[in-house]
Amino acid sequence: MKTSSIRLPKTIGSWTRPDSPQIVTSTNIFDYMDGAGELYTGYRFDHLEVYEYTSDTQDDILVELYFMETSDDAFGLLSLDWGGEPVALSPSQENSTTGSNDQFNRALYGQGLLRIWSDELYARVMAYRETPEAKEAVLTIGRAITADQKNLPEPEIMEILTAVIDSEWTLRKDRSSFFRSYLVLNSIYYLSPQNILDLDLSVEAVTAPYEKTNESGDRKRIQFLLVKYIDPESAQQALSHFHDAFLPEYKKGFRVDSATQETRVFEVENGWLEYRLHNSHVAIAFDSPDQESARKIIHKNILNLKEKEKIHER
Amino acid sequence: MKDEKKKLTRRDFIRGTVGATLGASLVGLNWSKAKGATAGSSLVTIVRDKNAMDAAKNVNTDVLKNMLDQTLIKFTGKNSVKDAWLSLVKPSDKIGLVPTPHLNPTHDEVVNAVKSSLIDSGIPEENITNAQGGPEKPKTCTALIALPALKAHWLTGLGTVMKIYVLYTGNARQYHEQNNSKLGETWILPHVKGKTKLVLVDALYPLCDKGPQPDPRYKWAYNGLIAGTDPVAVDTVCLKIIMNKREAMRGEPWPLSPPPLCVEAADKVYGLGTSQMENIKIEHYGWDEGLLL
Repeated sequence: MKTSSIRLPKTIGSWTRPDSPQIVTSTNIFDYMDGAGELYTGYRFDHLEVYEYTSDTQDDILVELYFMETSDDAFGLLSLDWGGEPVALSPSQENSTTGSNDQFNRALYGQGLLRIWSDELYARVMAYRETPEAKEAVLTIGRAITADQKNLPEPEIMEILTAVIDSEWTLRKDRSSFFRSYLVLNSIYYLSPQNILDLDLSVEAVTAPYEKTNESGDRKRIQFLLVKYIDPESAQQALSHFHDAFLPEYKKGFRVDSATQETRVFEVENGWLEYRLHNSHVAIAFDSPDQESARKIIHKNILNLKEKEKIHER
Repeated sequence: MKDEKKKLTRRDFIRGTVGATLGASLVGLNWSKAKGATAGSSLVTIVRDKNAMDAAKNVNTDVLKNMLDQTLIKFTGKNSVKDAWLSLVKPSDKIGLVPTPHLNPTHDEVVNAVKSSLIDSGIPEENITNAQGGPEKPKTCTALIALPALKAHWLTGLGTVMKIYVLYTGNARQYHEQNNSKLGETWILPHVKGKTKLVLVDALYPLCDKGPQPDPRYKWAYNGLIAGTDPVAVDTVCLKIIMNKREAMRGEPWPLSPPPLCVEAADKVYGLGTSQMENIKIEHYGWDEGLLL
């Protein structure tokens, strides 16, 4: 179990915390949060520390510190909902809270709940009843949590997503999420109750919609999914599994012994689906209104991926 | 060995074939025969009062009592609260109240209001118990009053009426994801079947996103009580309210994910009631702003 270096204040205004936290691990997380533990064990979860600040005059403040194995996992938990007011908890975070630059926010506040991605830590600090004093206390706790923590970059796979494609398809960055588990994927974009993409803690995955709005105001949306498997063989197997489950009426038309394939396109109930295998990556575009749009989105993102691979090779 | 069993996918939902797939896979029912088993109109009442909670979300128990009285009278068509209760339960009944225990739990004020109302109507206090919990809880009860809170759920889509008895199975987790379609089973357990005399949903302060942990940004003051005796009809109305709130909140379609299969399956697989809005008669009383129907 990771050692905590977080130092929370003993008292804040009228609130006081206990001397030691409640410790929750993957073995007892379902006792702590029945029906919710799967979210955290769907990422690389180490342990959780829980403090409850109590006050004689105000409602309690709950502090949950989720220690994850990597910063990517902590990012993933925050990425499930980019809503709320961005807040800067340290001077180094100020550049990432404007909402208009390319960086993802690291702390979001709304109606008493503060959510934080800070290094390998994901934190939830929640005032059971929001008051001006409670909000200030929540933010003070947030600043204590992020003090001396590193601001590590977002997961590499997030950087592959192209923001605008052909001046018409725009990435909904505010709906982009990093994950490893099919349960988490299903809570973002429902695919299947079975794990038809062979997702597990060894993969890195991102999904996000691309949107375009025509002159009459109609909005079209394509859901893009990119998964990086541990090796090309795993990616091929996963794509084969996906094809069998999702497209059973179509022949695969790809060789399972070849790591890189041309894009394959299929007409399905609500438009077009395209997928492509590239080394350890599987890219899929769902719900496309036409073949060309899906092809563009996959092509541009795979091109981006290849450029990143070249940079890594240098 | 290759898994030859057809896997349910998103495409089944788009095609509208999920019910048939589930019907066959869950209980082997002939889909077309199961469908329509509950034809007819089900009454669902919604009573709302703008003052049910104050700005700090404290429940006004006087207002709540009036809302409960109105619910009982309007739903049963009786002239008094006492007559209303006695049309639903007998004084000799051992009555179990079943509130939602976690994640946006049923307000204690709602449970207490129902208990007081029953006592005032002549039901002995010792005959009323909180029956939420494990499989033993409902066994001693002859009547159950389901008191779920209105909420979404991250593993079942909706976590309101059909999910209220899940702890009676002794293994709640087996009903997550696709298996949320099997929640209808919990209503036909031998120690549960036929005992539910009223479903009364605490819709004072619902949660429209699935969590898994409560996020206050997705709670709102609906200030309502939703009642019926057809659990599927009540859940269908609850689902509609949640879906409409989600779309209003984001200004774009925001479907529940995973989809709440349990509601349609409760109708078409288990025959517990109707999930067709055209077969549900909704009567609304009181505050109508933000009704979401």
